[in-house]
Amino acid sequence: MAAAIEISGLAKSFAHDPGPPVLGAVDLGIEENEFVVLLGRSGCGKTTLLNLVAGLETPSAGRILVGGTPVTGPGGGKGMVFQQGALFPWLTARRNIAFAARNRGVASAEADRLADELLALVGLAGAGHKYPFELSGGMQQRVAIARALALDPKILLMDEPFGALDEITRNEMQDELLRVWAQRRKTVVFVTHSIWEGLILADRILVMAPRPGRFVLERRIDLPRPRRRSDPALIALYDEIWACLRGDA
Amino acid sequence: MRARAAEILVPLAVLAAFLGTWEYAAAAGWLRPIRFPPPSRLAGSFVDLAFHGFPEGITIWVHAAITVQRILAGHALALALAIPLGLLIGSHALLDRMTAPVVAFCRSVATLSLLPLALVWFGTGEGAKIFLIGYGCFWVMLSATIAAVKLVDPVLIRAARTMDTGGWAIFLRVVLPATLPRLLSGARIALGVGFMVIVGAEMIGTIRGLGSLIMEARTFYRTDITMVGMLCIGAFGLAAMAALEWLEARLVPWQARAEAQTR
Ligand SMILES: Nc1ncnc2c1ncn2[C@@H]1O[C@H](COP(=O)(O)OP(=O)(O)O)[C@@H](O)[C@H]1O
Ligand SMILES: [Mg+2]
Repeated sequence: MAAAIEISGLAKSFAHDPGPPVLGAVDLGIEENEFVVLLGRSGCGKTTLLNLVAGLETPSAGRILVGGTPVTGPGGGKGMVFQQGALFPWLTARRNIAFAARNRGVASAEADRLADELLALVGLAGAGHKYPFELSGGMQQRVAIARALALDPKILLMDEPFGALDEITRNEMQDELLRVWAQRRKTVVFVTHSIWEGLILADRILVMAPRPGRFVLERRIDLPRPRRRSDPALIALYDEIWACLRGDA
Repeated sequence: MRARAAEILVPLAVLAAFLGTWEYAAAAGWLRPIRFPPPSRLAGSFVDLAFHGFPEGITIWVHAAITVQRILAGHALALALAIPLGLLIGSHALLDRMTAPVVAFCRSVATLSLLPLALVWFGTGEGAKIFLIGYGCFWVMLSATIAAVKLVDPVLIRAARTMDTGGWAIFLRVVLPATLPRLLSGARIALGVGFMVIVGAEMIGTIRGLGSLIMEARTFYRTDITMVGMLCIGAFGLAAMAALEWLEARLVPWQARAEAQTR
């Protein structure tokens, strides 16, 4: 079976950006339904890598296959959740989600029904008529996740989706995400700079270093979920990852 | 509840005190009525203008209707041109850089300094007046529209692109709604400019309109009529702003309510 995401020799430099490339030659294979976390300090190219997979940026070299087909642009079932939520402020939660479904050809009534179903899935049943500004940061991210799921995506790309939330909400959202992910299995690439977030969520953690952006550490976590932060295996991993991150300063 | 009542009552009380003092000062002889006609005199003039008019036969209603028509015509014309052009310029960075000095330049030219030119180009009829109002509104609306497009959050466009939206659909379904709040407030500011320009635009070549009423009154030392005319323009300006604010709250509920929440 083809890997869900297959990245080979991927490099990216921006015009008018001197210095080493933002991404060196990166290779990465991600299996179907795998939950991969990209971890690294700000500016090491995590967002750039995600944008390349999403088709929002074009590579300087190398290639990306999603589901065996080369990425030529955004859309086509590559769902993305942004840090700021990026919900359309003029649409209610339900319309935001339906927007995604409508664009892949789902009829209006069916899109509304799907939106309500997804709202219920992310724990927001009954909040469909609310505008984004009426929702808390955590609720907005739930809607953003539901909206990405409405694309019925093959892969879900998440760029620090909980980065703007307070720690309590953030921990809740991690549990929520795992619950949703258990019900709707997807291949997930999740960017964060919180080590614990990575440890709680990931099947596999990849630690990145900057300029050129590259992977410097890869760890598989086979522990069952939900995971406890007091788990000695996680604490050992935490120390190892922290040492690695501190080293690349 | 009490705060709301105070919000209305306090300004009313201040206004009443102001008018009362003015009236008393005139009655006591501290103010010369020819320079500062007291409120009672203004009320009388207003009634007179409402029934007989000035010049005889042209009531304040006729003046007001014509003035409002001119402002609305100039404003509508300006919006019809400025919005499409602004959307175009705002969407193209190069075009924006090329036109930015022109826009800043034309915006800075005081509209009324164009009055002599407008008379040469359009004669003394309606054309010159609508041109002047339109000119004032146009540049304000154009800058507002360009800014509105440039301020659209790029992450919204990227989000739309991940949802199989591209080209015109992005423009219609993301850029337009995202700019709408700023377009509406731009239109409101432009209308305010229209009210500021109107008196000057009506100075020449007409005896109808609140602006010409004000100027005519000057010739006859009728300060009372000038003041009534001013007050009328102010009242219509206030009403127009209130109407547009009401419309904004209906058309962009997400914005109005978001603002109310942060207040
Ligand atoms: N559009 C761009 N043009 C020029 N440089 C960019 C652009 N986008 C990102 N970069 C640079 O690439 C590097 C990596 O950025 P990014 O992928 O956003 O990092 P991260 O998401 O890991 O914080 C940074 O040094 C940033 O300045
Ligand atoms: Mg980033």
